[in-house]
Amino acid sequence: MHATASNAVPKTDRAIEAGRNATDARNDRLFGWVLKACALLVLVTLIGAALSTLWLGRDAFATFGWGFLTSDAWDPGNNQFGALVPVMGTITTAVIALVFAVPVSFGIALFLTEIAPDWLRGPVSSAIELLAGIPSIIYGMWGLFIFAPFVAEHIKPWLMNNFSADPPDGQVSWLVQHVPWIAKFFSSEYPFFGAGVLTAGLVLAVMIIPFISSVMREVFQTVPTRLKESAYALGSSTWEVVWDIVVPYTRTAVIGGIFLGLGRALGETMAVAFVLGNTFKFTPSILETGSSIASTIANQFGEAEGLQKSALMALAFLLFVVTFIVLLIARLMLRRLATKEGR
Amino acid sequence: MTNMNEVASQPGFGTSPHASGVDLGQVPAKMTVRDVNFHYGDFHAIKNIAMDVPEKKVTAIIGPSGCGKSTLLRIFNRIYAIYPNLRASGEIILDGENILDPKYSLNRLRSKVGMVFQKPVPFPMTIFENVAYGIRHHEKLSRSEMESRVEQALRGAALWDEVKDKLKQSALGLSGGQQQRLCIARGIALKPEVLLLDEPTSALDPIATSRIEQLVEELKKDFTIVIVTHNMQQAARCSDMTAFMYMGELIEFDRTEKIFTKPDKKQTEDYITGRFG
Repeated sequence: MHATASNAVPKTDRAIEAGRNATDARNDRLFGWVLKACALLVLVTLIGAALSTLWLGRDAFATFGWGFLTSDAWDPGNNQFGALVPVMGTITTAVIALVFAVPVSFGIALFLTEIAPDWLRGPVSSAIELLAGIPSIIYGMWGLFIFAPFVAEHIKPWLMNNFSADPPDGQVSWLVQHVPWIAKFFSSEYPFFGAGVLTAGLVLAVMIIPFISSVMREVFQTVPTRLKESAYALGSSTWEVVWDIVVPYTRTAVIGGIFLGLGRALGETMAVAFVLGNTFKFTPSILETGSSIASTIANQFGEAEGLQKSALMALAFLLFVVTFIVLLIARLMLRRLATKEGR
Repeated sequence: MTNMNEVASQPGFGTSPHASGVDLGQVPAKMTVRDVNFHYGDFHAIKNIAMDVPEKKVTAIIGPSGCGKSTLLRIFNRIYAIYPNLRASGEIILDGENILDPKYSLNRLRSKVGMVFQKPVPFPMTIFENVAYGIRHHEKLSRSEMESRVEQALRGAALWDEVKDKLKQSALGLSGGQQQRLCIARGIALKPEVLLLDEPTSALDPIATSRIEQLVEELKKDFTIVIVTHNMQQAARCSDMTAFMYMGELIEFDRTEKIFTKPDKKQTEDYITGRFG
């Protein structure tokens, strides 16, 4: 400061203003670059991760070609690897999780926003947030030690009695006699073993319910009161207000919340590794054990060498692809809805 | 807010053509309100209201913010009942039955008493569906019957000509004034007997406002209208009867002409001349 001040010529007001303009312009430019860099970082990370898994998995892709996608072999002893079972396992468990988690989350969110008395809202909402904060390894342990035995003892026998061709009680149900193909999805080699695709899907459902329901609760709260009142004033019941007003108004965000949960279910590792069984036999049955991409990687990465390591990397790349396709489907769904509504 | 001194000095003010020449003593009451009280939790918001709402006339409720005018309106169709801790007591007789009786069915009440809110609130659906929505809840109509009902309602709300070519488009694309007329169409589509308007023009520009006021003039041929407004000019222009409320009490209820020219109560006079409120 002193140096400039002693430089004789006093600055005119105009010069000071010009100086300030220059500083402002420079600062804004700098700020713009910083923000741009932050945004670019996301893209760079994404592309970098995708490309590096693709690169490190190149041996597997080169060795097996497209067969890598369609082969159900996973035999490290003979260096045979195929992604079919883990990819199927990933998708099936995630879909089962959604089938159970979406309706329950919907119910929780609607109860909290539309029906629950004030004193109940706080505690239930906090409980849901706490549920979201439980580490997945705990869900895995709970799944393995508590939930899987429960499934083996209660859920699985019931399902097999009703839907499998080889029921424990020896009585093939009417449904299976008339619709035999249904039995394929409910067969089990080890009826007393609780781990499996269904168990993993249910554990995942419990894990993603907090995410989906808190997104839904938040977006349901954004529906303007006057919109709901208008519908009530026309005689609508609570159910109609929810179904005809709240849901359409929040549809985009609700679908976003569901896909957030789906993304988490697809990538979930530890909990699934505990309760899925980690076998590589291809079967459509949800009562059999299986593998998912993430659980396979977690289980085998430590001792993998050479082609096996490359195959695991290729699997990781496929997880990217699966997630990407899921997001793409979500986008297309939203666009189709938007055109249907005539927006 | 309007400057009332300016308004009151306009020639012809208070002698609205709609009110003059009508002997309101001869008009039967559509709704008879007796001893109506309302509580928000511990707060006594509405105190011992009694009034006769005349059939096929426009009754305006005016008063300063927080006087309970909207609350009173919201008792007339029991819309308050969707919230906990709100209680209304007393009697509102509509066609010989007390609508405040818990046994009085909400479906019947809401099909007899329609309501239009302060801000235009079209549902996130097409224009057609917005109008058809309420009808569907109460009646099963064939497609062609529904189409004619929707057209009738849109004509009734003076909106048909503007939207007849875009019934399949989203209602969210309409202008504010059109959206509010759509809400009126939605309300009259149920063929109610009473139409409640809760500050229906407070979110609209002057042109849209005057269209709504003209519409109110048309609608009173078929409906009994109760309008809450903070705009005294509006009350003077389009109502036959005016109720002045203050602090939850009904201070004065009389012909609009009388309220705006020689009110009986000092408080009413102070309010309409802009001395408070």
